[in-house]
Amino acid sequence: MSVAELKARHVAATETVNSLRERLQQKRLLLLDTDDLIEVVAVAGYAKAHGKSSVSFGATDLVCCRTLQGHTGKVYSLDWTPEKNRIVSASQDGRLIVWNALTSQKTHAIKLPCAWVMTCAFSPTGQFVACGGLDSVCSIFNLNSPSDKDGNLPESKMLSGHKGYVSSCQYVPDEDTHLITSSGDHTCVLWDITTGLRTSVFGGEFQSGHTADVLSVSINGSNSRMFVSGSCDSTARLWDTRVASRAVRTFHGHEGDVNTVKFFPDGNRFGTGSDDGTCRLFDIRTGHQLQEYYQQHSDDEVRHVTSIAFSISGRLLFAGYSNGDCYVWDTLLAQVVLNLGSLQNSHESRISCLGLSADGSALCTGSYDTNLKIWAFGGHRKVI
Amino acid sequence: MAESYRVVATAKSGCSSSVPSLPPPCPKSPPEYPDLYGKRREMAKVQMLEREIGFLEEELKSVDSLQPASRCCKEVTEFVVANPDPLMPTNRKNRRSCRFWKWLCGIPCFNFSWICCCCYSGCSLRIHLPRCCDCNCNCDPCDLCNCCSCIRCPAPNWRCCSCRSCCPFPCSCSCCCPCSCSCPCSCSCPRSSCCRNISCCSDCCTCGFPSCPDCSCCRCSFPECSCCTWLCCCPRWTFSAPKCPKSPKCPEVRLCSNCTKTCCNPCCLFF
Repeated sequence: MSVAELKARHVAATETVNSLRERLQQKRLLLLDTDDLIEVVAVAGYAKAHGKSSVSFGATDLVCCRTLQGHTGKVYSLDWTPEKNRIVSASQDGRLIVWNALTSQKTHAIKLPCAWVMTCAFSPTGQFVACGGLDSVCSIFNLNSPSDKDGNLPESKMLSGHKGYVSSCQYVPDEDTHLITSSGDHTCVLWDITTGLRTSVFGGEFQSGHTADVLSVSINGSNSRMFVSGSCDSTARLWDTRVASRAVRTFHGHEGDVNTVKFFPDGNRFGTGSDDGTCRLFDIRTGHQLQEYYQQHSDDEVRHVTSIAFSISGRLLFAGYSNGDCYVWDTLLAQVVLNLGSLQNSHESRISCLGLSADGSALCTGSYDTNLKIWAFGGHRKVI
Repeated sequence: MAESYRVVATAKSGCSSSVPSLPPPCPKSPPEYPDLYGKRREMAKVQMLEREIGFLEEELKSVDSLQPASRCCKEVTEFVVANPDPLMPTNRKNRRSCRFWKWLCGIPCFNFSWICCCCYSGCSLRIHLPRCCDCNCNCDPCDLCNCCSCIRCPAPNWRCCSCRSCCPFPCSCSCCCPCSCSCPCSCSCPRSSCCRNISCCSDCCTCGFPSCPDCSCCRCSFPECSCCTWLCCCPRWTFSAPKCPKSPKCPEVRLCSNCTKTCCNPCCLFF
């Protein structure tokens, strides 16, 4: 077959794919039986119809009770330990810092071999931290190992193999020996940290996967064999770690890069945040897009969603935006109930990362203003 | 082409009037070699698309058997309602009913401390064992509550601060100052000092160990040097002194193939 014939086949196949996707979308719209078919308001429509009242925050209900100062550059990523109140953060200053969230003290400051770090994660036991960035490598550090003669913590493992930057990493729950990374090379990888080798590669040049940089991963806390990824190709994909050759399902709908994905606490849904300014809630078993979270503004500025997190019950969705806002959404009624960005003592710049503590009692935000802040239910406490 | 050259050579060497004269060689442009690498790439793309068509057709068949969205919404709503959430505010009805408890909680909490904790953390009418401290000083999340008076701490070398929480560090730095009360910062750890009465810094005054919230503890061994937050920054001519970290050059990264914005180039994040 000649190249010209192949190109013609390519064009025809692309048209067929687009047409099938359109038909699939129409069929799915017919299954949105709860409310208006024009906008995706399924959850909100159901909740209103069943008399759910909206969440109402008082002035001091959610307050900043800690400000973690120490980074000298933008904070890009943070992660809590699963069992204790420690946080690891990664910054443009080329360091990871491990914090005690209760006392604000720093327990470790790790100078990284490559300063261009984009992501960090705590291992389930809290003994290790992982990070990755523009060096295309995921580095592992053992927090209990002694420092070298220069006072730096040495890398205990380097996971090499990605052909693009490492945008996100997360340990597999309850396993200090496996983690999943996402990358600018369009793939996600499941790593065996003990051997340093790739167990599985999800997507890639000759496999069915993302067609652009992958920016975020989230592993299902209820079923650690499933994870979702978000990409510059405007889709999110659900993967089964046992089947690397193709995604279980692809979720369309966003009109821009999907910067962040996070599983809903029940493990059957997940949320996304995108450059199109919306957050969305998808169902993994049916593929339905259940809800869109978007606030119209009077100006033309598009606010990119940089990071999201769900509260432990799933009632609240925290979303950080590129303009410094941090909306707290009522997930059932799709209403903004609070803007942490407008509160007293809030960040002075974009919120780049969010994370909830393991017990759900505190939210940590990281910002381009170099600080991290911890928010908790305030009652009558003073703001510090 | 080789054949035509051989025929001409034979004709010249033979040099006989019986050999017909051949037209002079006319060099042709080299034949077009097929771009095999490009063809293989194109073939791979077509195969991927055809595989995607198969997946979409499968999905179209299965869509009819999917449960409607209302069932998913019901599951979401039921899950949310069934699970308590420490970040959720109390509703007004509960707040009214808690006024009595708030008055009661104004007195020191002893055996009824769990009631106080429940009230302040926004309990519902279903009083359940709260996760804040129980005033036996299981105080790990204690300072996020506002209720109990700390009577005794779980470990001998812990201390109650006046702000009603326990400091876990064995060095007994009174670092519960994150509470909004004034705790005098006194560090009994060796080689430690207080930074602005906020925290204790171990090895604070060793440049490079960033325990302090600012560089006030940083001391450089060379008088010509000044403190950056982490390091001593010294003029170049200072012998063997560390240099301030430079901004590293952003390495080349491959842009997203379909990306029309620079945000897909993560280097832009670093500017």
